[in-house]
Amino acid sequence: MSADKTAAAYEVLSPWAEADPIPLKGLSPRLDKLDGKKIGLLCNNKRAAPLILDATEKLIKKKFPTATVSRFFARSFSVSSLEKDREAEFNKWLKGVDAVIAAVGD
Amino acid sequence: MYDAIYVEGKGKPAATYVFEHFYNDSMSAASSKGMPVIRVVPETIVSESTVKVDIEAAVKAVFKDVVAVLTKPLTADEKAPKRREPENPPRLIFKGTLAEVNQFFYQRGWTDGLPIIPPTEEAVKEMMTGTDLPADHIVEKLEPRLGKATIEKIAINAVIAGCLPTYMPLLIAGVQALVANPACGMMAASTGSFAPFWLVNGPIAKDINVRSTYGATNPGDIANASFGRAMGLITKNVRGIRKQIEDMGVLGNPGKYSWVAAENEENSPWEPLHVERGFKKEDSAVTLMFPQSFQQMMPFGTDDKGILATIVGSIAPARMGSFAVLLTPTNAKSLADGGWSKKAVKKYIVKNTIVPDDYYSRLGYKAEVLFDRANITGPGIGPQIFRPSPRDPDPVQVFVFGGFGSWMGFIQGGPPPITKKVELPKNWAQLVKKYKNVVPNYARY
Repeated sequence: MSADKTAAAYEVLSPWAEADPIPLKGLSPRLDKLDGKKIGLLCNNKRAAPLILDATEKLIKKKFPTATVSRFFARSFSVSSLEKDREAEFNKWLKGVDAVIAAVGD
Repeated sequence: MYDAIYVEGKGKPAATYVFEHFYNDSMSAASSKGMPVIRVVPETIVSESTVKVDIEAAVKAVFKDVVAVLTKPLTADEKAPKRREPENPPRLIFKGTLAEVNQFFYQRGWTDGLPIIPPTEEAVKEMMTGTDLPADHIVEKLEPRLGKATIEKIAINAVIAGCLPTYMPLLIAGVQALVANPACGMMAASTGSFAPFWLVNGPIAKDINVRSTYGATNPGDIANASFGRAMGLITKNVRGIRKQIEDMGVLGNPGKYSWVAAENEENSPWEPLHVERGFKKEDSAVTLMFPQSFQQMMPFGTDDKGILATIVGSIAPARMGSFAVLLTPTNAKSLADGGWSKKAVKKYIVKNTIVPDDYYSRLGYKAEVLFDRANITGPGIGPQIFRPSPRDPDPVQVFVFGGFGSWMGFIQGGPPPITKKVELPKNWAQLVKKYKNVVPNYARY
């Protein structure tokens, strides 16, 4: 930093944009247990995602044998943001599950 | 993360695996969508990993956390999060010497690491003479932070970057381009280090001296250097995409400093890009792509056959996303002399760029999962790398810029290109007259 006390002073404006407060949403009620529940496995198109969910499915079957699983494969990073044409299909799948475990590959 | 928020919004509990280094990124994404209390499961699986044994071990290590995320009762804050005010600093933020201003901005995380021009009231006012729009006009709100890209905020970032007022119309069009596709925000934040590439067409290119010839994307021209730099600062300070917080580019990309050219329209044998994309020749326009890679090649031969063979023979199967071949006017003329229109060149590349059947077996590689998300090849699908689809009906682009020479290039990655018309202010001719002569004059030695 300059120690020159005679250097010109600049009064400067902030480059950081204003943003409005966003209405906040709470989380959905949790399940009491996973036994007997239908667990949705949501997989995006990153290649680690299906492998993560394969490992998850194995553990669900081992630890919660009465639970069932159902998968949904996104064609992109995010089905809800980038695949508006599949909204009805995704919502239908979502209605049929009790909870979702998502793998996004990151 | 956006999908987990959507799922929670539909009344279902969600647990999302998040690589531990992406925790900040996932929380910023959740806050931007109004769910800062989202539950995630941090784990140790490296992005894009395909090593099954590592993945299984990592999932096993955190499976109890997955169960807890779905079953542990919610806290009061998780049920009804308290209102959080976004950080809105005062308009006048600091007073100090040039060095002090630079240090203050750098330490606040508002620069790209290079020195800045102090955005004083006077400098910002002068910058805003480049548009007829008022200072408080909101051009767009930019995701993920939904920062308001007002004319004043655009101008402040433009001053910092070293822009001239005549770049304001281009900056406004650039901001509009950023929101034209929701994938743009993801590109700026992606592990793939996608960098915005801006191609300028129409009269504005000459009016503001955007270089289209030798070394078009090299440093050395104020328009090419500062327009892209300003858009990078807008990405950081308005969108709120910051390095290793939201921008999780793994290798990074020097193109994020500034990657700008004008098309060399006067030496191209073909119609300019913006005309091809539906605009009038006399319109000014800017096209945005998000390549993660740039490759340059010397063609096998400089006639049409040599150029086309080099293109289709040099495209790597590991590539992803949109693709543009960069031709010099010399390359373009060779193709046009051989009877090739731009459309025919694109069609040829789509048809003839293939992954040979034995490609992976010759490498001794058997994929457990399909390698290329954007260009799925495999049995029954066909060997073509480029696949026109409703999402990307025109997967190959041809851009003509640079000096007279044989070198050619590819840029590739990201969603399909976006082109926006640049609207000029009423007093454009006077503005151009005032600033056009700001050009380097190199002394001979």
